[in-house]
Order: sequence, then C-alpha cells, then structure tokens
Amino acid sequence: MKEFMTGNHAVARAVRLCRTPLIAAYPITPQTPIYEKLSEWEASGELKGIMMRTESEHSAMAACIAASLTGVRTFTATSSQGIALMHEMLHFAAGCRVPVVMANVNRLLAAPWGFWADQLDSLSQRDTGWIQLYCENGQESLDTVIQAYKIAEQVYLPVMLSLEAFFVSHFMEVVDLPEQERVDRFLPPIDLPHKFDIDKPGFLVPVVSSELYRKYKHMAQISVDSVKEIAVRVDQEFKKEFGRGYGIIEPVMLDDAEVVIVTAGSITSTARLAIKDLRKQGNKIGLLKLRLFRPFPVEAVRVALRGKKKIAVIDRNISLGCGGIFCQELRAALVHSPDHPLTYSYIAGIGGTDVTPEVIQKIALDVMSKNEPTDAPIWVMEDY
Amino acid sequence: MEIEYDFSSELAIPISYGSSEVIETGKWGFEKPETAFLTAPCQEACPAGNPIPQFLYLAGEGRCEEALETILKENPFPGVCGRVCFHPCEKDCHRGQYDEAVSINAMERYVFDVTSNHHPDIHPISNADSKRVAVVGSGPAGLSAAYFLRLLGYRVTLFEARKALGGVMRWGIPEYRLPKSILKKEIERILQLSIDVKTGVRVGKEIPFEELDQFDAFFLSPGAGLSLSLGIEGEDLKKVWRGGGFLDRINSGDKPRIGKEIIVIGGGNTAMDVARSALRLGSRVIVAYRRTRAEMPAIQDEIHEAEEEGVRFEFLLLPVKISLLKNRRIRVKFQRMRIRGRDQSNRPKANPIKGEYLTLEADGFIKAVGEGVDLSWIPGNISKNGLIDVNSSLTTSNPKIFAGGDAIDQPRAIVTAIASGKKAAISIDLYFRGCMSEDGFSKIRVGNKGALSMATYLSGKDGGNGSEPKDVISYPQINTLYFEHSKRIEMRKQDRNKALKGFSEVNLGLTSDEARISTSRCFSCGTCNYCYNCYFFCPEGVISLDPLHQTKTVDLDHCKGCGTCAKVCPRYVVLMKELS
Repeated sequence: MKEFMTGNHAVARAVRLCRTPLIAAYPITPQTPIYEKLSEWEASGELKGIMMRTESEHSAMAACIAASLTGVRTFTATSSQGIALMHEMLHFAAGCRVPVVMANVNRLLAAPWGFWADQLDSLSQRDTGWIQLYCENGQESLDTVIQAYKIAEQVYLPVMLSLEAFFVSHFMEVVDLPEQERVDRFLPPIDLPHKFDIDKPGFLVPVVSSELYRKYKHMAQISVDSVKEIAVRVDQEFKKEFGRGYGIIEPVMLDDAEVVIVTAGSITSTARLAIKDLRKQGNKIGLLKLRLFRPFPVEAVRVALRGKKKIAVIDRNISLGCGGIFCQELRAALVHSPDHPLTYSYIAGIGGTDVTPEVIQKIALDVMSKNEPTDAPIWVMEDY
Repeated sequence: MEIEYDFSSELAIPISYGSSEVIETGKWGFEKPETAFLTAPCQEACPAGNPIPQFLYLAGEGRCEEALETILKENPFPGVCGRVCFHPCEKDCHRGQYDEAVSINAMERYVFDVTSNHHPDIHPISNADSKRVAVVGSGPAGLSAAYFLRLLGYRVTLFEARKALGGVMRWGIPEYRLPKSILKKEIERILQLSIDVKTGVRVGKEIPFEELDQFDAFFLSPGAGLSLSLGIEGEDLKKVWRGGGFLDRINSGDKPRIGKEIIVIGGGNTAMDVARSALRLGSRVIVAYRRTRAEMPAIQDEIHEAEEEGVRFEFLLLPVKISLLKNRRIRVKFQRMRIRGRDQSNRPKANPIKGEYLTLEADGFIKAVGEGVDLSWIPGNISKNGLIDVNSSLTTSNPKIFAGGDAIDQPRAIVTAIASGKKAAISIDLYFRGCMSEDGFSKIRVGNKGALSMATYLSGKDGGNGSEPKDVISYPQINTLYFEHSKRIEMRKQDRNKALKGFSEVNLGLTSDEARISTSRCFSCGTCNYCYNCYFFCPEGVISLDPLHQTKTVDLDHCKGCGTCAKVCPRYVVLMKELS
C-alpha cells in the first residue's frame, strides 16, 4: 500500500510495524512529529506499545537501556542538542549491548542556534559504539528502521539511523508501506539472552578490572565488525521479502567512471540527477552512496573505488580543524590500497544550505579540472 | 571487596549477582548528614516553651493523643492556653513572614478538645528522697508548680484560700472565654498526680505562715487580687466597682446589677473581660483609656472582639473626679491626655493637656486598671515594691521560699504564670540537690527568651542525656520554595446576637478539616515532620524514616556525604558535618 507521507511519519509507521513495546522519548524539532505520531497512536490504541515521556533525552536513553534489559524491543527518536545530551547514555547503551533502535533527525548543533539539516550531530557520536546508517529519503528511513532491529538483535548492539532535517523529515513523498504480516515474518518477537530475571536479581555495569574492561571492548569490536556482513545479509533478506534493497553502500554508474562523487543522505538523490546530466555531457562520472557509516564498510568501499582516478566527497558536516568527516573516513579506508584515487573534500550543505544539481555539477567540474588534491576541504559557497 | 560476576561466554556484558552493598561507599565521603533539631521561633516565644512543631506534626497526623502528651510535658494547661493565651508564638511564627502565621493557639485548643476522653500517660519519676513542698495559691502558677514538682517526684501540699481551685482562671476569666468545665478537666488531670489539696485554707488566717516551715520548701503564688486606689474623688461611691470584684461575682454565678450605661477604665485584658461581661448583662459600655489604642496591653483579638460586640472606646482620657447625680446616675470628669515621650518602662507616656476636660454620665463605673498583691501575710523581708521579691531563679531572700505568678515582677499572663511555676519547680529541685546555678537553667533553655524545657531537664536528671540547648532557626534557613502560599484559618465564632445573650463560649474551635489545613501550613521550623524529602532525593537510598517512632537513620556505610538531603530539607533539620 502506498501513502503520501513525511520522512518522520514513515519512521513512526515503521516503529508501529515493528510492534515496539517501549518507546521513551523527549520532543525536539525536527524530530517531534515522530514523537507526536506515536503518541497519537498510543492514545487511539493503534500503537500496542507504551510511550514513555521522559524529562530529557538522557533519561529517554536510560529508559530504553533499562527496558531493553528486560528483553523487549525499544525505540527512541531525537535530534541535535538531544543526541548531544544523550551522549553519555549512548556509551552505556553500546557497553550494555542493548539492541536499542534510534532515529536521529540530522539537525545542526548550536551555537549559533538553528534547526537546519547538518550531519554533525550524529557524526559526533561515531565513537560511541553505535551502528550508524544514513538514509536518503522517507522510504529508506522506514525500511531502515525495520532492518535496524534485525541487525541490532543479532549483534546486541544499538543502531542509529539518520535522516536529515526537513529535506527528509518533513518532505512528503510516496512511501510503500509493508504489510504487517510480512514485517512480523521478517522480524519475529525477540528473546534477548541477557535480560534481567526477577528470580535471579543482578546488576549491570559493575566495576571491572582493567583486563576485563579490555576484554569486553575487544568483544564489542569483533561484534561491530561482524555488522558489515550482517547488514548486507539483512538487506538481502529484506529485499527478498519486500522487493527493495539498499546495500551498505550503493555504487551508481561506477563501472566506467573515472571520477566518483561520494555522498551520504539526501544529497545522494540530487547527485543521481546531476551525474545523469554530466554523463550526457560526456563525462565519465559515477556516484557512490555511503549508507552504513559504523562500522565503516572499508572493504566494500575499496572494491567499489578500485581503479578510479579521482573522488570528490561531499560532506554536510565539518570536523573543525580537520575537514569533512565522510572524507576523512574514506581517505583512511583507502590508504592501504595501492594506486588509490586522489580524494577531494567538499563541504556543502552545512547548516541546511541547499545543495542543488548545479552545485554538484560545479563540484564535479572543479574536481575534473584539478590535478592535485588539497589537504584542507573546499567550502562550496554561493560565489564559489 | 568481592563481587561475583557472570563471565560466561554467552554474555557480552558482565552482570553481578552479588549485592553492591559490600562496597562501603560511605567511606568515600568527607561529610555526613546529622539530624539536628533546632528551636522554632514559636517555641522560643512561648514562655512555657511549648514544643509547638512537634505537637502540630502529631496533630496533623491525626495522633492527637500523642500531641496532647507532648504539650503536657511542658504545660499542664493546653485547654486553658488554647483559649485565653495571648499567643506570642504566632507573632514570631516564621510563616508570618511568608504569608500568615499558623493558627497555633486554635490548634492547641483543638488538640485538647478532641482528646477529652483520653487519659494521658503522665507520671512522676521515682524519687526516693521525696521531700515535701507547700504551694500557696492555686492559680496557673501554683497549679503548674504543683504539677511539675509532682513530675519531679516530690510530695506536694496545695493551699487555696477559696473553696475552689484555679485562681484567676476560675475567678477572673469569664465563662464565654474559658468555660468552667474546661478548667475543671485540666485541674482534675493535674490532681490525678496525687496532690494534697487544702481548699478554704488561707495562709496567715486559717494557718499561720510559720506552719509552712514544716515543709522542705514552699512556693508562693497568691496572685494579684488587691484593689488599687485611683486616688480620685468619688472612688468610694457605691456605683464604683472594682474590676476583679465584678468578674469574681460573675464567675460565682451572680448577675450583679450595674446599670444601663457603664464606664470601664483600663486598657488591659481585665478591662476587656469586664466590658464584654457588662455587655452580656445588658449594659451599654464605654471603655476609657488614658493612652491610645496602640498602647492597650490587652490581647488584640480581645480588643477587636469587644469592639465588634459593641463596646465604645474613648482614648486619651484620665478620670479625675466621680460624682453622684440626683437621678442616681454618676458623672465622671476626665482629664484629656496626649502622648509625649516615654516613661521609665519605655512605654509612650500620657500627659495631661492643661485645662482640657470631658464629662461623661453613666449608671456605673468599673475600674479595671490593674491590681496589687496582698502582702499582709508574708514576712516583710521577702517583699519589695508591693511584690514578692525574687531573683532570677525565683528564690526569695529565704533560700527555701520561692514565688511566681502575678505576685512577682513579671508580665501578668496565664502562660507566664505557668512558666514561673515550671521554673520554680526546677529551682526547688536544684535547691534540694544542692546544685543551684545559672548553668542549670541555661542547659535547659528553649531559645533565648527565658523559656525552659522540663522534658530536657527530666532527661538529664533521670540519668539520661540532657541534650545541650539548640539554636533558634532563622527565617532564611527555611527553604520556602517547598511551600505554597495559603490563608490562615481562624476559629469560627458563635452568632453575635446569641453570644451577647449569655456567657456561652464565643470561639467555637476548629473542625477536623480546618485543623488538618492549619497543621499542614506549619513550616515545622527545625523539627523533622517526616515530609520524606530527604528519603526521596537521596541518590543512594540510605535514609530510613520511621514516623511512628519518630526516628530517622542513615546507613553511614553507604552514605557518600553528597549533602542532597540537607539541601532538600525544607526545615533545616539535616546539617552536614565534616568528618575529622
């Protein structure tokens, strides 16, 4: 069944389809419609779970962790300052190995204050041990929630999916809604092994020795690495069931491409259009969409970019003092490949500024005209 | 410390199944909370040192019998004081700085009224060396002295010149303020402590003063019942009444014929009692006072009620001559006065305005201007300036003679008389034990305004720990963020027209709902009232409270000394003490 809806409502619909029994959240623009929609359904009885209205995002995550430890599926949604406040609990969630699923609507971080799309909020949390997936549109956001549970519940790690403020969260698109029975089949009820048992009371997060701490971190690293395979498998299973798949990365017209534009999130949609026009003009250009960010799909990226001459990474984020974060990760992934392509870093779309097909074409022409990449990123402004 | 972990390979996280209590986190702290009750300002202001926050807490919990017993530790007259006390407690109530003072006086009455069928558990301490003490006079001072002396284990003989006990409470205060039945109940409770009562025995008449010498000590509280002369012409006329005598007759059940229009002279409580009683006998009443309303020593409520009931006030008038008219009425000539400067006791001084007079006519004249002490039966060496002369421990120049109440130099009020009875009982005990000293009193003081605690004294005397006196809590120490503003509750009153037809009680007391609201308004300054704030806010969950036994314990092995409990206590009961 197809419906016209916003990215936020697509996420809410996915949570309902996953029969999540405990949702703990705190409202924040531009995530609030997810919270509101789930609340509406709770009031009408259409949502079988409980909406727990906590006093902060920090508490929302604490509630999700605790609920997850009783063995149930949990969900929260947040954005920007909310995920920043949640930071401490994000480490706890990963460390406690709880399969919490969270939707983060990418919004810039203050100061200065604003509400616009920017990926820095979720990228700032890259070292917390959460699995991160970046979604291009409403359909992908809905599908990724369902996939996220399936991944999380196999590795006992929390999963965060990101969709950009307004460009995805508030734009209405046609979304194909999966049938409930199919979702139920894809995502059967869970039974987590490390749930609390009231007959055998215990407590989590005890003080451990240095060696034990190292042991658990190492175990977690092995688990996180396994996600690269698990996420691919889950996506394939999903495609089999629902007819749609995304991969952990998506190569677009890469086979004969010499220059590759790399994007994540909604800019990918625009880039698809831009490279079509560039191709018509005779340019050997392709596109690589990054979907899985943590763990970073090093091997897949290496294979996809093998033999390419130049790549231009477009980042809607900036790690001040270094550069675009996707670009850093990409450069690190390619460093062991012999004759790897030259990587050019472009900062575009920061603070929700529009990245039009013309901007992407401008970037493509710029990268094709250059022979030597610079270490510092290139800011794409109106007068560039 | 040993914690049992589950490291089984099934699990990606460590889980402990042992209790984290083995970790004595309390050792991490630098400070520990201490529950330190402070003296509330109401309690300090009460001459009897009534443990007001404690009794209000118990009353608020519906534990009125315990509330009564709490008051009785310091004051044997809750029923009387709950009706006629000038309640300085309410004037100093910290809640008064926030919105309006708590209705403490009405609550004391409420506690007494609802426990009328309860026989409180009060008994003397055992005292092997049971000396004998004589108490002369059974007003509030004498009865209190007898009561506290019995609690201290002494044998007491009470001499009363009149046929019934109670002194000013029995013969001075009219029935509409203090019903005789209430007084009777209070006196009966005191007498249950086995006091040898000799009524109709006037010392100096039925028995000679020297006969008191057979006692090991004696306490004189004869009161002030001696008429003072105004020293003006016409004072001896038959139509001129003495205030005390008039009230005495009313309280004996008489209805003296005083005439249709009455002039009452005075500005104190006696003047108000006289005026309102005269109204009840059907007279029209003018109260003439030589100063202004602001200087009237009567309880404000009494002045207000007298006015409401129809008493007319004339200020700045001093009677100088009373004459009898042919129509059997009287004419009173008043000197007009004005306020100029202050007298020796720092009260505004009334001075005559030269040549300005006012004349009023009436059927009767009642002088209610204060009375003297009859010292005719007392050895001259223990009196001075018309009063019995005592030092700060209420001892006269004869070390075995003590005195209190209206016969000594102190404010004339029921509660101050009760306080002097208590102080004298302690003084006598110290005298018997040969350890009379100022220190003995300062250790049991309640605040710094003279009130003493018998409970503290007994706890020290009985081999217990006589705790050191506590500081008085200041208003800024109250965390008023925890309180909502609310209106004070006043007692309901009898319908005015009905009230003026007789002597039935005017104030009707509080309903149980009103009492509940009144107690909930109390800040309980410096006294734990088990609000559970510390319990709820303690991040370690180490506080246990037991309201029933009124105890609080902190598991110091696990208290990290964070100080949250002290911060969230609305009433400054929890103080953080640095560990050495």
